[in-house]
Amino acid sequence: MPFLVVDSISKIYRPDGPASAVAVLRDVTVCIEEGEFVAVMGPSGSGKTTLLSVMGAMNRPTHGRLTVDGIEVYRLSDERLADFRREYVGFVFQQHHLLPFLTALENVSLPLAVERIGASEARARAKEALRRVQLDDKADRLPDQLSGGEQGRVAIARALVNNPPLLLADEPTGNLDSATGAEVMKLFAELNAQRQSIVMVTHNPENAVSANRIIRLRDGRIE
Amino acid sequence: MRLSQIATGNLRRRKGRAAFLMLGFTMGIGTVVALYTLSTAIKEEIGHQLDQFGANIVIVPRANTLALNYGGISVPGVSFDVGQLKAADVERIKSIPYKNRLSVVAPKLIGVTSVEGRECLLVGVRFPEELSMKKWWNLVGRRPTGIDEVILGYEIASQLGVIDLQGPTMPAMGDDHRAHAATAVSKPGLLRSEIVIAGRKFGIAGILNETGGREDQMIFADLERVQEVMDKPDELSLVEVSALCKDCPIDDIVAQIQEQLPTAKVAALQQAVRARTQTVDRLNRFSVAIAVIVLVIGGLLIMSTLMASVIERTREIGVLRAVGFRKRHIVELLLIEVGLLSVVGGLLGWLAGTGASAIAVRHFTNSVTTVRPSLLLAGGCVAMALLLGMVACIFPARRAAALDPLEALRHI
Repeated sequence: MPFLVVDSISKIYRPDGPASAVAVLRDVTVCIEEGEFVAVMGPSGSGKTTLLSVMGAMNRPTHGRLTVDGIEVYRLSDERLADFRREYVGFVFQQHHLLPFLTALENVSLPLAVERIGASEARARAKEALRRVQLDDKADRLPDQLSGGEQGRVAIARALVNNPPLLLADEPTGNLDSATGAEVMKLFAELNAQRQSIVMVTHNPENAVSANRIIRLRDGRIE
Repeated sequence: MRLSQIATGNLRRRKGRAAFLMLGFTMGIGTVVALYTLSTAIKEEIGHQLDQFGANIVIVPRANTLALNYGGISVPGVSFDVGQLKAADVERIKSIPYKNRLSVVAPKLIGVTSVEGRECLLVGVRFPEELSMKKWWNLVGRRPTGIDEVILGYEIASQLGVIDLQGPTMPAMGDDHRAHAATAVSKPGLLRSEIVIAGRKFGIAGILNETGGREDQMIFADLERVQEVMDKPDELSLVEVSALCKDCPIDDIVAQIQEQLPTAKVAALQQAVRARTQTVDRLNRFSVAIAVIVLVIGGLLIMSTLMASVIERTREIGVLRAVGFRKRHIVELLLIEVGLLSVVGGLLGWLAGTGASAIAVRHFTNSVTTVRPSLLLAGGCVAMALLLGMVACIFPARRAAALDPLEALRHI
């Protein structure tokens, strides 16, 4: 059985009641194997980010099922969904979303703050995650003391600190210059080489080259 | 990394908002502390003044009375087994376990005697005690300084021709019985400086302005001298006691005096006690009402600031939810932040309130009441601030926890 199964998922938004229904995803089915690197591409408004958020247990679909590692995700309660995100999913956002008042090390430690592990172990794991993205020498810097690329790498380290089986990235190079973007993509390739499953939304065909497979979306459907 | 570190980090980053919240706690708790401390001082002062304002216990000799009806004719009551109050009883009263609650003990001997051919009520008193107890007496003249000086009631003074009722009204000389430099005779409307009581000359130290009470018909003289004049050495008619009844153990005081004086009848003037209790209770209720209003306003202020903080931190909360924080963790985070501010704000409020009341108490009370910092009150302030913070935090925390992570991340 594939590691992740998106089974006939539809997502319909109704911002102003039933009359204003907008179908963002329409009967999407995707299977992803463990250790696979998948790029999701498509024009703006095609439903890429919505699909990623559905895969990341952050967006309940209107219809269909998501199964990860045999768990039917959206049958879980809200609180258990939070646990699922912490244990199974690492998110990398386009905007990085680092907390500005925490150092790089503290930002990376965030998912561990609610884990039942000792402070020293949490610190060691956060340092290891920072080492994986080659930022262990800037652990004590605040986000505004880091370059855009470094902030991106801190965000990746935060996503990896719990060793989640699935890494989801929403246009991780979108706000970076091409050199820094290439750096991040190189890191993703290295992670995937270590059997890390990755699903990445991107506009950039050059980035998609690093992926094992490309899923193309248009008007909420897989092409 | 712990939730507490995120909380302290956030407070450090948002110093202005944290300071504003802490100011809310400090002002709320400070006002309550100041009100509490000040009202306690005022209550004590009022209670003390009420306690000194007249007697609340009266001791008279015990006597059994029989009403007789003989052959269809009513005979006035006959008293028998009449007890006696002696001067030594005053010392026995002052030796009860609650002796420190006795403000004034004023013994009296009352009798009728001939004054310049007229039967008058003569009251033997100890002037220092009597004048201390009867603070409402408006004395024109001065306090008696020797045992041969008297104070006359207004009516008897006019009947004896000491004052001229047709003359100008006697001026009020204050209500604190301080000795006036001038003598009574030099005052307008006073015609004589001496009267003769049972063949002895007495100087007139002062006249009581009209009270409308029995005092108007009485002549007040030194107790020992009256005992001598009436040939009742060592004897007393009654003893008035003014007890300081903070927490009002008046019944206990009565019981203790009764135990010391088994042959006397000791009675508490319940009306006086009730009036004191009611006055102090009213002040209590007023203080509590003001404190509640202040706390409610403080709570609303804190709640609105927290709500604004939650809105400002929507994206941050979205990140935390996205990386796996449960709703409960978000609530805990907010509670830790508010808890820290509450503790510090509570302590600052205690300090500010104690300081403010120490200054204010000088303006609101006449006595030299000092405000001492109370550690118990400090603990109470922290507990009150925590409770206030937690209550004010409930709604914002629930709202923060209910944020949809995806929506929160999209928040601009």
